[in-house]
Amino acid sequence: MKETHIAEVIESNTTEMIAQCRDLHCSPPFGSFVKVKPTSTSVEGAGFLIYGLVFNVMTNSIEPNRRAVAYGKTEEELRNEQPQIFELLKTEFQAHLVGYQDQTGIKQILPSQPPRIHSFVYTCSLEEVREFTRQSDYLHTLFTISRVPPDELIIATIRNSLEAHAEDAHQYLIQVGKELSRLLREDYDRLSSILRRIAP
Amino acid sequence: MDHRSGELGIITRGSLLEGMEMKLNPNRSVEDIKAGKFVVIEGEKHLFFSMITDVRLEVTNPQILTHPPSRENTLLRQVLSGTSTYATVILRPMLALERVENSHLINPTPQPVKTIPTHFALVYEADEEDVSRIFGREALDRKYFNIGKPLDMDTPVCLNLDRFVERSNGIFGKTGTGKTFLTRLVLSGLIKNEKAVNIIFDTHNEYGWGAMKETGGNRQDFVKGLKQIFGNRVAIFTLDPDSSRRRKVQADHEVLIGYDQIAVEDVIPLQDELSLHPTAMEAAYSIWARYKNDWLDTLLERGEEDIQALADELRTHPESLAALYRKLRRFRAFKFLIPKTSEDIIQKIMEYIDKGIHIVLEFGKESSMLCYLLVANIITRRIHELYVKRTEEYLATQNPANRPKQLVITIEEAHKFLNPRASKQTIFGTIARELRKYYVSLLVVDQRPSGIDDEILSQIGTKIIALLDDEKDIQAVLTGVSNPTGLRSVLASLDSKQQALILGHAVPMPIVIRSRDYDEQFYKDMGFLTEKEREEKVAADIEALFG
Ligand SMILES: Nc1ncnc2c1ncn2[C@@H]1O[C@H](COP(=O)(O)OP(=O)(O)O)[C@@H](O)[C@H]1O
Ligand SMILES: [Mg+2]
Repeated sequence: MKETHIAEVIESNTTEMIAQCRDLHCSPPFGSFVKVKPTSTSVEGAGFLIYGLVFNVMTNSIEPNRRAVAYGKTEEELRNEQPQIFELLKTEFQAHLVGYQDQTGIKQILPSQPPRIHSFVYTCSLEEVREFTRQSDYLHTLFTISRVPPDELIIATIRNSLEAHAEDAHQYLIQVGKELSRLLREDYDRLSSILRRIAP
Repeated sequence: MDHRSGELGIITRGSLLEGMEMKLNPNRSVEDIKAGKFVVIEGEKHLFFSMITDVRLEVTNPQILTHPPSRENTLLRQVLSGTSTYATVILRPMLALERVENSHLINPTPQPVKTIPTHFALVYEADEEDVSRIFGREALDRKYFNIGKPLDMDTPVCLNLDRFVERSNGIFGKTGTGKTFLTRLVLSGLIKNEKAVNIIFDTHNEYGWGAMKETGGNRQDFVKGLKQIFGNRVAIFTLDPDSSRRRKVQADHEVLIGYDQIAVEDVIPLQDELSLHPTAMEAAYSIWARYKNDWLDTLLERGEEDIQALADELRTHPESLAALYRKLRRFRAFKFLIPKTSEDIIQKIMEYIDKGIHIVLEFGKESSMLCYLLVANIITRRIHELYVKRTEEYLATQNPANRPKQLVITIEEAHKFLNPRASKQTIFGTIARELRKYYVSLLVVDQRPSGIDDEILSQIGTKIIALLDDEKDIQAVLTGVSNPTGLRSVLASLDSKQQALILGHAVPMPIVIRSRDYDEQFYKDMGFLTEKEREEKVAADIEALFG
């Protein structure tokens, strides 16, 4: 089956990328995995398959210096009366780069080059999520993101990936929990709070 | 190095003095880790054979202890387990074996531990090869005798009987822990492999013929005695032929002791039992000074009416003499004591010993402590005398034919003979102290080792110790053991039956065992044949002889 992309990279750096969604309000969920396919396999250095984790979703005006204004109407009313204003909006998300895949398999390491602008972004299938979350090393980079509360991101990420581990969910949670316990060394309260909120 | 399996954890810290600490692998349950277990630490240059002496729960973060995970919070528990909450196991290295670099071979002689393994050395459960490498195998040599198995293992641990008989030995443990069974095992080994001739003072009639076995329920089982297993290589001597007959025991010999065979020294150890005053003992010596071997006969004859005259004659205090008489009068009630015997029981015993026949001396109903002390003392003292004489002859002639047969004397309730006071007065104290200079050693069996003189305890070569829970007793049995800290907890955590810690001369390192089952299989291993098997064997022998 041919996959269709959900977004396109419009900005990137070594650790993060911003992608614009094809459709308004259609961002992959907060704390979900996305992948960026290499633009072309023939272009040298065009890169590998890169994995990102969505940590921030924003919707705003397509014009840099304009903001949407309040109309005091329901979305339905607005769509009927002024459909054009929706054309002026876009949804974007920020994803943290958590790893890539080369010939030898998945690496939970930053790629040497960020995704190229205009590369397409896809959601990850359950198998891909399962494959990627077999290791939990990526979790520690999530603590370095300062723009969102890292605990929230972690909770969302783990809850989202749980479906991919439906068969051994408990085992998976223990594995992740142990990694978190290591990362949160001195902070037992924080660990127990996270675990409490992760539990399905 | 062949790859070991059964990894338990890694060494994280430790010292030569305090032992090593191992962090238990998260996939192991701490509840499977038993004190006394035999394990191997794979160091860089050595294998360290060790014993688990203690197990401890640890947390990395004290917060966890303030708010421990609730019972429902299994996820949190499981997450913490093995990382933030983990178990530390204390190991005591007992022996080191050098690993030869780049080779499958291992330098085969275990050495005392003089160093410790490196950080993060892996710890494994010991395997069968380790056990036989250290403790030997019965198939290798007759000196090895299977006494049991290490905890959770299925390979025999062997006693080195040659080393065992080089010293006096002890079997200790609370009542009901299996001392008598262990003693029967050890004696069987000595008999089967012909490492020593035994005399067993059997107060409770448990060694010769059919002893009771507790089965937990109301039912009672019997186990075979040594005579039943070893046939005519064991003789039963009895002090109470009526009792033997009633129990359908085929006694080989009735023990009769003449008053003239009892020396004052034989009465001294009874002081406590009879509450004899020292002045009474002086009186005994004064009779002896005049009447020699007839002293006791004289006292018992004249004591009733003539005591004053006897006192005058001996120039001794009539009160002390009367007191002595009143106490020793009890001897008259002993059927095995008679004024004169036609045959010297000691001569008889020596005849058996010379033929290599082991003697179980049954007390029948004469099971009072007084009787036990008296008889054991009389017989042992005189046999020891003969052994001293024979040893001197042997040393003088250096003729191997004169060399006395190693003799092991087994006594239960040993603290009665070897308490600090008695051990200085009884022949048993002497034997224990002189090691085996005269080819006689003791096998002492006792439930209250703290009652035994420290000096004697420290002379004991091999100790087989079942559960003890009195702190004093634990301390006592570990007298003379270097660095006993860890062993204390091991001792206190033994099962209440059929488990024992063995340490000392006859084993290369201390080890906890489940003692060998004393059952049908054991009888068979000792060469016992059932009626049917015997008939078949005879038939086969005849067949072989006459074709
Ligand atoms: N090696 C063994 N084989 C079989 N049973 C044993 C063994 N050791 C102990 N037992 C059991 O434990 C009970 C008590 O043992 P026993 O030797 O009489 O204890 P103790 O002499 O210490 O009072 C026995 O009756 C028997 O049931
Ligand atoms: Mg007993």
